[in-house]
Amino acid sequence: MKTLVIIPAYNEEQTIGQVIRSIKQHFPEADILVVNDGSTDHTGAIAKASGLAAVVDLPANLGIGGAVQTGYLYADRRGYDLAVQIDADGQHDPQELARVCGEVLSGKADCAIGSRFVSNTGYRGSLARRIGIGFFSWMVWWMCGLRIADPTSGFRAVNRKVIRLFGSDYPDDYPEVEAIVRLAQQGYKVAEVPVRMHGRQAGRSSITPFRTLYYMAKVSLALMITRIRDVS
Amino acid sequence: MNVYLLSMAFCLVFLFVAIELIRRRKLQERYALLWLALGIPMAGFSLFPHLLESISGLLHISYAPSLLFLIGILFSLAFIMHITTVISRLQQKVTRLVQEVALLQMRLQDEGEKEA
Repeated sequence: MKTLVIIPAYNEEQTIGQVIRSIKQHFPEADILVVNDGSTDHTGAIAKASGLAAVVDLPANLGIGGAVQTGYLYADRRGYDLAVQIDADGQHDPQELARVCGEVLSGKADCAIGSRFVSNTGYRGSLARRIGIGFFSWMVWWMCGLRIADPTSGFRAVNRKVIRLFGSDYPDDYPEVEAIVRLAQQGYKVAEVPVRMHGRQAGRSSITPFRTLYYMAKVSLALMITRIRDVS
Repeated sequence: MNVYLLSMAFCLVFLFVAIELIRRRKLQERYALLWLALGIPMAGFSLFPHLLESISGLLHISYAPSLLFLIGILFSLAFIMHITTVISRLQQKVTRLVQEVALLQMRLQDEGEKEA
């Protein structure tokens, strides 16, 4: 069973090294791929210097969707059976990787999402953030009848079929919620696994107040369009 | 110099510029078609002003020049929408291209290290 951990990273030089070492320590059986999304700092160099991860340097900044998709393309072409996506900022705890992967390995789900809300597990984020997540959670339920407490989580494991699907077709920006609805619509099984999360360790969140409005509007529209799109 | 002469001159220059851009390969034919689709009727209206009056009459437009505004605005909207679809398509292609280049580059480096 070949497993790939995909870490999309944009200007995360302060945390990337630690995240890679922690993954290798807690989940040594997996290969690690860092997708350096056109960082302007030393993210790529630090990841390479760790000697523990393969690093793909995107020649231009694509945004999270394009970066993650590069990871899925890599996984698909190199024949990985399982791919796990994890943030580079240290919010996701590598100790939880085995649990998130387990849900997919056991065949219970095609895609397992690590969620901070399924049970009370530490860090929950600011009130505004929780309201936003609640809104998307409701939206996902409305659009495809799926109960997902934290659809914005980028901590997720997928099997071979979904790797192939994401490699050929993945939303371009703020892709997490939309990807869930696309999977549900095409009959894939999406499940949630409770995990511990931390506050971000360093660097800045890509979601500034100004972008929040765009984020909400774009994702809402995308979800509704996905609902009426012919997916066969 | 009256407004009829001016509009005639403008339409003919507009058509000339569009054709010249195609000739110099600065504008692809597929997009030029839309510009010609606007330029040719407009040239027709400026060369034969009574045409505008009679069509406006048929459409119950009391102030004939407002038909021109209508055509202009609708055309602009259609063209902008067309351009945003072109940009979306380009964006998809660029994204895939960046991904492929990055993966290829990575493979080249790997092979280079193996040989060394």
